[in-house]
Amino acid sequence: MANCLETVQVSKLFGGLVAVDKVDLQIPERSIYSIIGPNGAGKTTLFNCISGYYTPEHGAVRYFGNEIQGLSTDTIASLGIARTYQNIRLFKEMTAIENVLIGQQPRLRSSWLDAVLHTGRYRAEEQEALDEAHRLLKFVGLGGMGDTLSRNLPYGAQRRLEIARALANHPRLLLLDEPTAGMNPQETEVMKHFIHGLREQLNLTILLIEHDMRVVMGISDRITVLDHGMKIAEGSPSEIQSNPRVIEAYLGSGTEALTEKYRRKKLQ
Amino acid sequence: MKRNDSAFKSGLRSGSTFTIIVLFLVLIGFNASGSALLARLFGQAPLSGQLPPVVYGLVFLALLAIWQGASSTIASRHKGFHVPWLSGFSSTGLAGLVLAVFILVFGSLYQGGADFRRTLYALSPAYIKFLSADQSPVNGALINLFVLLIAGGIAGLAVVYLPFGKLWKQVKVTWLRFWNMDANRSLRASRYFKFGVYALLVLFCFFAPRLWGSYWNYVFGLVGIYVLLGLGLNIIVGLSGQLVLGYVAFFAIGAYTVALLNAPVPHNLMWGFWPAVVIGILLAALSGFLIGLPIMRLRGDYLAIVTLGFGEIIRVLLKSDLLTNFTGGPRGIQDIKGPSLFGFSFSSDVDFMYLIILAVALALFIASRLQNSRVGRSWIAIREDETVAQASGVNTTRYKLLALALGAAFAGIGGVLFAARNQFTGPEDHVLMVSINVLSLVIVGGMGSIPGVVLGAFALKGLPEILRELANYRLLAFGALLVVMMIARPQGLWPVGRPSLQRPEPESPPDKPEESNREVTHG
Amino acid sequence: MTALTSVSFKTPQLVARIIRSAIGILVVFWMAVRAYNVLFIDQPYGTDTWVRFAISGLIIGGMYALIAIGYTLVYGILGMINFAHGEVMMIGTFGGYFMLEALEATPAPTPASPDLNFLNAHPLLSILLAFLVGTAVASLTGYFLEKIAYRPLRNAPRLVPLISAIGASIFLQNAVQLLFSPQLRDYTNPDVLARGIGWSINIAGSNVMITYTGVLSFSLSIILMIGLYVLVKKTRIGRAMRAVAQDKKTAALMGVDVNAVISRTFIISGALAGAAGVMWGIHNGLVYYFLGFVPGIKAFTAAVLGGIGNIPGAMVGGLVLGLVESIGPAALGIDFQLKDVIAFLILVLVLIFRPSGILGAASVEEKL
Repeated sequence: MANCLETVQVSKLFGGLVAVDKVDLQIPERSIYSIIGPNGAGKTTLFNCISGYYTPEHGAVRYFGNEIQGLSTDTIASLGIARTYQNIRLFKEMTAIENVLIGQQPRLRSSWLDAVLHTGRYRAEEQEALDEAHRLLKFVGLGGMGDTLSRNLPYGAQRRLEIARALANHPRLLLLDEPTAGMNPQETEVMKHFIHGLREQLNLTILLIEHDMRVVMGISDRITVLDHGMKIAEGSPSEIQSNPRVIEAYLGSGTEALTEKYRRKKLQ
Repeated sequence: MKRNDSAFKSGLRSGSTFTIIVLFLVLIGFNASGSALLARLFGQAPLSGQLPPVVYGLVFLALLAIWQGASSTIASRHKGFHVPWLSGFSSTGLAGLVLAVFILVFGSLYQGGADFRRTLYALSPAYIKFLSADQSPVNGALINLFVLLIAGGIAGLAVVYLPFGKLWKQVKVTWLRFWNMDANRSLRASRYFKFGVYALLVLFCFFAPRLWGSYWNYVFGLVGIYVLLGLGLNIIVGLSGQLVLGYVAFFAIGAYTVALLNAPVPHNLMWGFWPAVVIGILLAALSGFLIGLPIMRLRGDYLAIVTLGFGEIIRVLLKSDLLTNFTGGPRGIQDIKGPSLFGFSFSSDVDFMYLIILAVALALFIASRLQNSRVGRSWIAIREDETVAQASGVNTTRYKLLALALGAAFAGIGGVLFAARNQFTGPEDHVLMVSINVLSLVIVGGMGSIPGVVLGAFALKGLPEILRELANYRLLAFGALLVVMMIARPQGLWPVGRPSLQRPEPESPPDKPEESNREVTHG
Repeated sequence: MTALTSVSFKTPQLVARIIRSAIGILVVFWMAVRAYNVLFIDQPYGTDTWVRFAISGLIIGGMYALIAIGYTLVYGILGMINFAHGEVMMIGTFGGYFMLEALEATPAPTPASPDLNFLNAHPLLSILLAFLVGTAVASLTGYFLEKIAYRPLRNAPRLVPLISAIGASIFLQNAVQLLFSPQLRDYTNPDVLARGIGWSINIAGSNVMITYTGVLSFSLSIILMIGLYVLVKKTRIGRAMRAVAQDKKTAALMGVDVNAVISRTFIISGALAGAAGVMWGIHNGLVYYFLGFVPGIKAFTAAVLGGIGNIPGAMVGGLVLGLVESIGPAALGIDFQLKDVIAFLILVLVLIFRPSGILGAASVEEKL
């Protein structure tokens, strides 16, 4: 299976500060890949390098074999990479359905002249876009709430709307930045199943930044651990859980992990 | 906020602001103009240069006091003070006291022959006399004190003891019931109704310009041109969020295109009005695009200043002697020939009114089509959050340039019509103030709101006609209005709501992932 | 997807960079050619004229610097451009004007000169008083400006305080016009400090005048600039300002009264602008309500030139702009009418080619 995304020795510097230090990733197609690490480890910065917001000082980012570092974010979006954000960044003054419609931008072809003249091409495209938007809203569980202003939606719904907007791009790679932040255990569980379901139903590759170990250990195929910008471990969930370096640096708040830690301590 | 305050003390606090406002108005001579306006409303307009009867001055002050008394009483009631109407008395009483002292001092000084016009030039002897109600300084002072105090206090009492709130609620309920009546609703939705309204509108637009005289044609023509400009700037600032302060430059391009192509001096090209329209629009759009190229990376504040700089550069260049041979220099271009239709001259004021109405109708059509389309949505996304819009796949550079080009095109046609109608244009037509005027009407009407722009244009150009006495204070009011609107109602007077795109959901069979999600959404 | 397509994705950005560099090179080349023409071939001006240009440029540059510091201070702490800053300067000018008028009208007779007024009897004291009043009035204006027009909007989207600032600027201009009439007024300097008199130096055969008012303005500018720099770097107040500029929330958590610091910043920036305003009046003479507009924009240009948010940058930017504005038109053989255009052009060019300015701007990082 081809690698959907590869980062090769990617480094990002801010003045003297090395935020990401020669990180290598190989993310196979159709996998759910998680990046974990303590706060400030450089996870979101790495995301930003992949999505095009930053250009890494060193290294390359390869998307299905093609180098994409240095491209603008809208070009990268049109290549099929979509993302969500750590602090939700919806278009607050627009309705839910409008947010999803914006997400479809890379796929829409009609020009402003078409829009003014309401040509056949424009009308067909708009109709299809609306249908797709309705479908996506229903898919994330926001069916019927399309006309609500996005800032009036409850928190969990906003997160799901952001995902719907990302999915509107028909991406092949989905970057999710802490999708369960601020959620209670029940909501987290639902989101975890949802993300897992995404891969099955939509055939996409998912790159996940998460702090909640239940989610990470529960659905990831592979995990990379970052600390101070460097990769300190990589492997399957069970490998990561028993990796002493990871346990030493950080091991989240998942109950299994904590229990495991105490159990091991007791056995010593 | 001390909690053991009384209404009286809180009134004093808000009264101090009111006092400063009143004193300021007095010092800029606003009392005279406001009273003159009131006098005109009652049919006793003063002759130009003269002051109205003094009673109107007192009425003016009384109106101010009523407003202050009522609002401070309402505020006190809100905060739960006992005897809230005391704050009405205290706030206006304070102002009255200070004003009384002012009149006493200045009245006496002026009686003794002093004249402070060299410093505070509104304080002419006639004005001081007017303020003291044509009485001796002492009497004048006392009259003013009592007018303010009593008017404010009574307003406060009225607010507390008269059922205004209930009345207003009643009115609102009745109106809503009327508006939402089924018969009313179905009437409004029916095709015939809409057709009828449009037909009436068209008839009105055809006959009115012929009937209401050239003065109103001029005024409403100007309103129309400002609607054009407002729609254009609305696209740039209101929709795509680029704060462009040099908008007048595009207006100038349109104006100078028709001028340079149709006037004997300096070039004597005489290409005709209609080609000039096309060329003017194209040139303006092109310049919008060109100006956009270097500024794409700039953020709001920088963008504003740079475009301001551009606008000023163009104005200085137009005005300089350097380019006189090309642009006509500081004196402008005269004798611009008007349009002709099928060989007949089409440049009477009525004809121009038709042209302007046509242009405005077209502009409204294009603007609303754009706004409610994918293009408009992309612009708004760029305004809301440019970074995320771009990351979601919106080519922000392309859309921002499109907004600039289209917005500039609107200004171009406005400029062409303006110059052709006046048969003249010059550097003084293209000053920064025009940009600020248009910006004000877009902001005050409501950013991104087309009806807001129309409302703003009427307010901007129509109100000064009605409030002729207050012409000197127009800019002052502008500035204050901008600040107040940003604090109190940044969404504008007629904000635009988002369109309703949601279709009613058909009953869907229970589907595993959705249903579990749905349960959680009830939060 | 081939490597070819990935190249074509990068092309628009590359093209933009090439165009920008090309334009930059062209502009510099054009300026060099013209300057060479003027300086070495035509030589319409003698050394003495250049010295005159330089002197007047420095003097006005000092005033620009003071106003520019005001812009930079506010930008550093609130992230917004105080559009109304030029009006604050103008109000300072008016304050000084009225003080001098009042002093002129106050009789201070001595046996030798029974007609003497206070202004001429105690010229230095009068000037000092004028500066005090002008500075005080401008500071107050700055304080109330922030309190009324900016504070309620502190958390609003960027466009909103900007428009409020524009509105405040228009309001102040017109308030002054309505209160004090649109008439142009002339600063009455004390006789010993009249405009146009000073020391004469012989340069290249001509007498070059170094005016007393010019020396006063320039030295005061330098003193104030040094004073401000010390204030910001060494004192507790300055530390608080820098803390708030960097991170409001953390500063508040550390016990800094953010509102007070912001008010203080506006008071200080207003004071500097007021001082510059009084200097303007003493040195240039004219006072009118629209006075602040052009110097305001030019000072902003200076602040951007030196790097917005950077205080030494504002100082350098102001002096450089003053010099360039003075020497530039002559050096490039351009009409003097276009002097103002130079400042605007510099602004546009700097913002396009080097938005961080000469000394580097304070960065406003967007958190994604």
